[in-house]
Amino acid sequence: MSEVPMMDAAGREAEATSKRDWVPINLDLRDTWFPVAYSADIGERAVRRIVHAQDVYLWRDGGRLYAAEFRPDRLEAMRAGASAFTNGSGFYPAVERYGYIWTWYGNPDNAHEELIPNIPFLPPDGQGIPRYTQRAVRFDAASPLSVENLIDLTHADFLHANAIGDSQSENDVVEVHSTSETVTRIRNVTRKSVAPVMRWIGGVRAQYQDLRAVLHVHLRNNVCISYPNFTPGYPIPNVQPFVPVGKHRSRVDQTNYTVHAPAPFRWLMPRISYVIQPQDNSVLRPQNARYFESTERRDLSSRFDGPGNRYRLLMVRLAERQQRGDFGYGADADPSADISAVLGMRG
Amino acid sequence: MGRWWVVALSEAVHGDKALAVTCEGEQLAVFRDGKGAVFALEDRCPHRRVPLSPGPVKAGGLQCPYHGWTFDGATGLCNDIPNLRRDERVPARYAVRAFPAAEANGFIHVWRGAGTPAAVLPGASYRAAGREQTGSAVANIAFEQYLDVMLDGPECLVSFPGVHITDFFLGDPRRDGEHLVLDRGAVWKCKGNGPAFVRDHSLWVRTRVPLRGGDIRVELLSADEEPLVTIFIAASENRRGTTSLVWRGFRHATAAPLSWRWRMARAIGRAPFAIFPHIDGAAVAALEVAPSRDRRLAKTDARTPAERVVPVQERCAV
Repeated sequence: MSEVPMMDAAGREAEATSKRDWVPINLDLRDTWFPVAYSADIGERAVRRIVHAQDVYLWRDGGRLYAAEFRPDRLEAMRAGASAFTNGSGFYPAVERYGYIWTWYGNPDNAHEELIPNIPFLPPDGQGIPRYTQRAVRFDAASPLSVENLIDLTHADFLHANAIGDSQSENDVVEVHSTSETVTRIRNVTRKSVAPVMRWIGGVRAQYQDLRAVLHVHLRNNVCISYPNFTPGYPIPNVQPFVPVGKHRSRVDQTNYTVHAPAPFRWLMPRISYVIQPQDNSVLRPQNARYFESTERRDLSSRFDGPGNRYRLLMVRLAERQQRGDFGYGADADPSADISAVLGMRG
Repeated sequence: MGRWWVVALSEAVHGDKALAVTCEGEQLAVFRDGKGAVFALEDRCPHRRVPLSPGPVKAGGLQCPYHGWTFDGATGLCNDIPNLRRDERVPARYAVRAFPAAEANGFIHVWRGAGTPAAVLPGASYRAAGREQTGSAVANIAFEQYLDVMLDGPECLVSFPGVHITDFFLGDPRRDGEHLVLDRGAVWKCKGNGPAFVRDHSLWVRTRVPLRGGDIRVELLSADEEPLVTIFIAASENRRGTTSLVWRGFRHATAAPLSWRWRMARAIGRAPFAIFPHIDGAAVAALEVAPSRDRRLAKTDARTPAERVVPVQERCAV
């Protein structure tokens, strides 16, 4: 996957995006895999998940995994109403990888396993991923707004200052790269105040630490792969897949892969999402309602909004391409390519 | 085109007294004749405009309490004016407006508007299968807002003992004929770690809200979508921005796992749900307009249901 270097000024993108309004609520991008559930959560009893307001029922029978449009007890009776998303069979293509069950959203004929995003720090077969790394949270906004919130750098220093840290640092540089299917944001911070969570339970006693945080976002399925690396400290690799439940809500089955961090940080840190999520929801909930209709009052941007504006631009481009009937992946897109180097993983 | 509205519980209309109700903002008098047939008249005597509903039910119909004029329930024609001489007749044009009335499953319906009354009554979809709880009230919220809040925040309007209704709704409302149906997660109180911590909700609350008319269905479902409680709420516009409510509901016999509070409530005969007549304005005002947006849009969509169906292949959209 070749990365396109940033077109120098964030301002140019802000200008491009400001020419039309951002109405993310109706973005319904197809032909992609969604990690709808942790593999460990699915047993013989059917569990219901939602992707773009469509039911996905998951269960196992005789060791085999099923992902269907209808509950197993209603499947035969309802099968005649099965949609084109399952080619009328009632069953979605489903694959287990990285500890998740991935189901295909789109034309089943295009469901190829190599379109599942690469997550280099997780074991592909999902074996050995501790349950303490897995936490499900729910966001009160459509997926694109939730992803924007994650991409957005400057909000964390204010909204999450008590957990993640304040905005104090010596130097803070942001780069953004992209393909037609991904946005990668790299943040390099030197001499940043040590995050409270890392100071109090992570054993980092220094006053300052450097941070290199890479966030790799897959546009179609909102899978956000993040590799923040703290020095002194350790990396906290994590996956946040924002599964679009509907126009108002999204669900994130996070994996904070803290297995290489010291105890008790490795056990407690994944639970920080229960602190972070309500803080985010306090702004996402009213924000979501204000992005339903196009308005003449365009969003204003600062230079820190470059990654977010790039994301907006690429999402709209992708949606427009799909609207024209082009659901294929471009030559610059290879979701399963190894992104270890992109994330800057050690070793 | 007109429609049927539920205006009262069947058991609320009995004997020789009429029941005053308000439907679509208009006051009506509902009563039964000696055979139990139900009738609905405009609650306004054409003589001196006093309400008819406080008057007695006579063999000829409903009698005005002021001067004793009597009106036939089926036609609204005045058939008796006391003190007329034997050779005097009541003019044929002396009448109140009469509305077709019908009964089904414990609900009294009134047809309002033009056209021939439809064969199917809204209350026909409700079938009690357990001991019922019933009630009626006037809620301090406007009718259209009541329907919208039932989608955006039903916890402001209804509760189930020991159940926390979350605001995490699944997907978007789905169209089912002339209704929108929406599921949201719920959890047992005092069981587990609370709604923010559950991987999958142990309960669902399903609300079925009309695009037109006022028949609402609220169901509490187990995780396997087995019904635990069914409530049929009939809402209609009352006066001064309030809403008339009439409801029936029941607890299902179930083998689904229940919380100890739920089992205790059942053992002591506590109602399995509550409908709020006094609505917390601050809580309603704090709700974001979310799934109700689809209801408002669907109401203004003039296309036929067949025209509204978008092939799934074309669903991808900006």
